[in-house]
Amino acid sequence: MPPPAAAARAVFNALPRAAPRQCTRLMSTARSAPAKRPTAPSPARFQPLAQRRTFKTVEEAKSRYRSGPFSWKAGLLFVVTGAGLVWYFENEKTRMQRKRVAESTKGVGRPKVGGPFELIDQHGNKVTDADLKGRYSLVYFGFTHCPDICPEELDKMARMFDLVEEQRPGVMTPLFITCDPARDGPKQMKEYLLEFHPKFIGLTGTYEQIKAMCKAYRVYFSTPTEVQPGQDYLVDHSIYFYLMDPEGDFVEALGRQHSPDQAAKIILDHMKDWKGKLTTS
Amino acid sequence: MGLLPNLFSSPATADDKRATEVRTGAVAPTRAERAQCWAARDTYFACLDAHGIVDALDDADGRKRAAAACRGESAGFEKDCAAQWVTYFKKWRVQDIKKKARLKELEAQGANKMDVQTDFAQR
Repeated sequence: MPPPAAAARAVFNALPRAAPRQCTRLMSTARSAPAKRPTAPSPARFQPLAQRRTFKTVEEAKSRYRSGPFSWKAGLLFVVTGAGLVWYFENEKTRMQRKRVAESTKGVGRPKVGGPFELIDQHGNKVTDADLKGRYSLVYFGFTHCPDICPEELDKMARMFDLVEEQRPGVMTPLFITCDPARDGPKQMKEYLLEFHPKFIGLTGTYEQIKAMCKAYRVYFSTPTEVQPGQDYLVDHSIYFYLMDPEGDFVEALGRQHSPDQAAKIILDHMKDWKGKLTTS
Repeated sequence: MGLLPNLFSSPATADDKRATEVRTGAVAPTRAERAQCWAARDTYFACLDAHGIVDALDDADGRKRAAAACRGESAGFEKDCAAQWVTYFKKWRVQDIKKKARLKELEAQGANKMDVQTDFAQR
């Protein structure tokens, strides 16, 4: 056993050597970590010692340090989020475009297409604009003696209507309005429309009523003047389908360039956007 | 030659009456009558195409050549279609040929094609 003086000297000698070593280590960790990685927390500070020991080589540790928080999981999250955002914005963009088309005729100072009317259908019943409220309507103007375009377009309208009915039954009224009231009475309309679709509603009226209706829908039509009774003639007219919303406002015109499927899709998309009430027949 | 044999009255007279009514425009043709007319029209137009005739209403030359070259087809066309339709289709043909030629010309100049249908094909 050494004398007490020797033991005290050994302790005294040991102290100055231990203290500076501890001091430098504390200073180095405190200073170097934030200096090298100012933004990301240093793995040395937050990761448990047990994980640090899993690095088998210095290279492995260095690589983990270089790649930082990036891993395949982070990459995947990034890609999925990005794709989701792109999809969302594209969707919103087309929705806003449709909304702009649908609302371009709403409000004050807009060109007004459509409006109040009073006509009779192929069964002789009175039909007014009030009867069409609450549901979409698809309006087509034509005449029963039409040589080529009207029958083709009415066939197209029938397919279009069936496609819409499949998805949203009873929310759209298909209307055929004659531009030739002199020859197209309810009887002629009934016979004519039965060959296209049993649900089509044919509207006719007096020449003045039809003229007002065509004017309201901005439909151009011209019956030849000075026609002798019994003489055959053709009527020149606009050939668009008018999609009207449940409030009786014009939404969009569909033309010859749209296939029945394209047209049905446009109509169904507008229906999807509709926030108001929809009644079904 | 009727579409449905009429068992109750003399078939020839009833069908003839109906055919005359369609020709004069007294009644609107049915789907079947339209199809028959369009078929007759296509036959007639095919004949005009074969003989290089564009305007069958052209007084100077077309009318005479069409009458000479497509006599049978023309008779069929006029039998199955309303007289107004015959004139309309003949005019339409001239416009359609002009339109197609113009489109071809524009396409050659590198114009952008728009999706517009000009023929009678079903879609």
